Amino acid sequence: MNARRYGAAGTWLVAGLSGVCVGAIVLLFGFLASAGLAPFWPAPVEAVQLRDGSTVLGEIVASEATGLSGALAIRTSELERMGSAYQRVRSSDIAARSQPADAVAITLVDGRRLYGRGSDGEEALLAAAAAPVQAIEIVRPNALGVLARCSVFFHRLARFLATPPAASNLVGGVLPALLGTLTLVLLMSLIVMPFGIATAIYLHRRRGFAARCVRIAINQLAGVPSIVYGVIGLGLFVHGLGGGIDRLFYADRLPVPTFGGGGLLWAALTLALLTLPVVVVSVEEGLARIPSSLREGSLALGATHDEALWTLLLPAARPALLTGLILAVARAAGAVAPLMLVGVVKLAPALPVDGVFPYLHPSREFMHLGFTIYDAALASADAIRGVPRAYACAGLLVGVVLVLNLTAILLRNRLRDRYRALET
Amino acid sequence: MPGNPATYASVLSADFVRASARARRRRERVISAVVGICTAVVLLGLLAIPLFLLVGLHPGTPLSADTWRRFEVLLAGTLRAGVCGILVALPLGIATAMFSAHFCAPRLRTWIKPALEILEAVPTVVLGLIAAVTIAPWLRNHVASVLALIVIVPLVLLSAGMAFGTRVRNEGWLPLWLLPLLIATTALVVAVAARQAEPAIVPASPWNAALVGLALGVAGIPIVFSLSEDALFLVPRAHTDAAFALGATRWQALTTVLLPAAGSGLVAAGLLGFSRCLGETMIVLMASGNTPIGGFDPLGGLRSISADLALGMPEASPESDTWRGLLLAALLLLLLTLCVSALADAVRERLHRRLRAAAHAA
Repeated sequence: MNARRYGAAGTWLVAGLSGVCVGAIVLLFGFLASAGLAPFWPAPVEAVQLRDGSTVLGEIVASEATGLSGALAIRTSELERMGSAYQRVRSSDIAARSQPADAVAITLVDGRRLYGRGSDGEEALLAAAAAPVQAIEIVRPNALGVLARCSVFFHRLARFLATPPAASNLVGGVLPALLGTLTLVLLMSLIVMPFGIATAIYLHRRRGFAARCVRIAINQLAGVPSIVYGVIGLGLFVHGLGGGIDRLFYADRLPVPTFGGGGLLWAALTLALLTLPVVVVSVEEGLARIPSSLREGSLALGATHDEALWTLLLPAARPALLTGLILAVARAAGAVAPLMLVGVVKLAPALPVDGVFPYLHPSREFMHLGFTIYDAALASADAIRGVPRAYACAGLLVGVVLVLNLTAILLRNRLRDRYRALET
Repeated sequence: MPGNPATYASVLSADFVRASARARRRRERVISAVVGICTAVVLLGLLAIPLFLLVGLHPGTPLSADTWRRFEVLLAGTLRAGVCGILVALPLGIATAMFSAHFCAPRLRTWIKPALEILEAVPTVVLGLIAAVTIAPWLRNHVASVLALIVIVPLVLLSAGMAFGTRVRNEGWLPLWLLPLLIATTALVVAVAARQAEPAIVPASPWNAALVGLALGVAGIPIVFSLSEDALFLVPRAHTDAAFALGATRWQALTTVLLPAAGSGLVAAGLLGFSRCLGETMIVLMASGNTPIGGFDPLGGLRSISADLALGMPEASPESDTWRGLLLAALLLLLLTLCVSALADAVRERLHRRLRAAAHAA
């Protein structure tokens, strides 16, 4: 009886710790979803009446609930420059708080926020801001119904995705970062797929000493820290290859580097090296899973090995290729550390893709969603704006990576069913 | 036979067959060559990693004593972060693997496994962001409650299992049933701690090794989980069935058959998780404060080799002493992680050998 009891206790411990794991995952994604989307929801404008009779109008940016003890931080109208009008009000000084329905919140192109009241508040505010800049959003958040709030939410989301940033990447959209991430990943896929597939085919066919060496190298490569790839990328690709290309072809522009500085191409090469093991392993697994009867059948009908490969094995392994590609893309999209060494920047002057020949500019520095997260959270001049921005970018990045991974998981399951059908 | 016999004769002539066979053979050779060349390029790229670090180090003056002292601090920081990380990842990862492999209801399993795979896909920069910005200020005031939770939660689970465990017939969905208990315990402990005016333990810095360990642990859970689960599944079904036939409970089958058989696999999983924690960059960079402090204080700040590389490398000019110091640091990190993962491979090889021997005996 006692043994049963101890067994039950042990089982409950194991189950409870798994429960902690499951709970942590649910909590993590729930938090990310809410923190990533919260910046787009229109926040109310509050009028805080102080004991000395004055009134502060603005948006509450930090309070007891967010860890600021005994005080409120309020963003009031930023008439001069962004980040200049935060006020800290002690809780004991507050007489009353209200959300007046006639309050208006204005967002200017340069990121400044203005708050006012009354039906003609906008003109007065815009005149007071004394700026030729345009307002991009004028809302009366306190008077909005749920539907109107949703409309503001989606407008902000669309602006976030489709416009360039302003004010040294503190406000505005993340289009260049999104484009930079996508271009980088695309270029990386173009490099890694041929090499990865070729290596997998080689490993699938050969069993000799050389194949064993390659296999060991690939396995060990999977465990190498990503920052070491960054070091290799900087030393070997940027300084070595890039410096060499500059000395050969762009000698007239030296010492200003063309390829000898960090850039899209070198970042893509570095990531290709980083994701190679993922591709090789999943393609090889896909090839190994194809029943050998298929290949033997085609060889018996007179096909050469290479005909069997192109007409039979690779098409049958197509889902595995796709899975490898998706996993590699997901891994590459999440890798930030190596990029910090090979050309990611806070604010790139030009996009890596544009309408000017040759359309793709592999030597340009680029922006990246992951780096924007790091930069906005820890290195921005205005942390109150930086942190929500970092979470918005994090939500976007996790969304992209999740969609890719879920696709890979679904593909894998379909693939498994297909081979089960082949075998029977 | 329909058609013109003359055409058949020309198509089937020996010359044609020979020519087509030659073309096919040539194509076959070209493709093999392309595959070989690509593989050679890949191998070259892989070998370039250690070679480049070694060659880059070679020339120049020896490094100063200061640089070496700095390495000691960085190495200590890396190990401290890695140990904290694996202390979080190991119990959670292995427990989840044990549950998923041995107790879990099949329907729950189809959810747990993808959930952990998805957790693995979360970019570490996101975990670093959450740790540095959201958890750090909270943890500063709640170190004592977290410590209390680490002790209390297992005790609560064990005693609840002692009291009610024998009445539960089906353990398959237990983690979900236990979630309310876990949440209630956490809420209770935090509420009790919040009644105190001053937090009982205040860390030296809000960005410290414990915080880094928490985030690294979450990042490391999936790898520990998937490797340990694989190891547990490698144990032949017949072994556990035999244990059940002899009257063992599920728990007894786990502790007397599964764990001894798969033990080296679990050790390997822990080692690989540790190796991953050692090399992780973004979490440490964001949540550790990056202050080069030595020692073993889990509540003190630290600076790891990887974070040092990420911060120092872009500014260092090639061929300078700083540059060579950083290359040496990168080599050190590479060797450290490779050694740990090679050790893991050796341990895992032992598991496979033993299981193969068991299969032969059976």
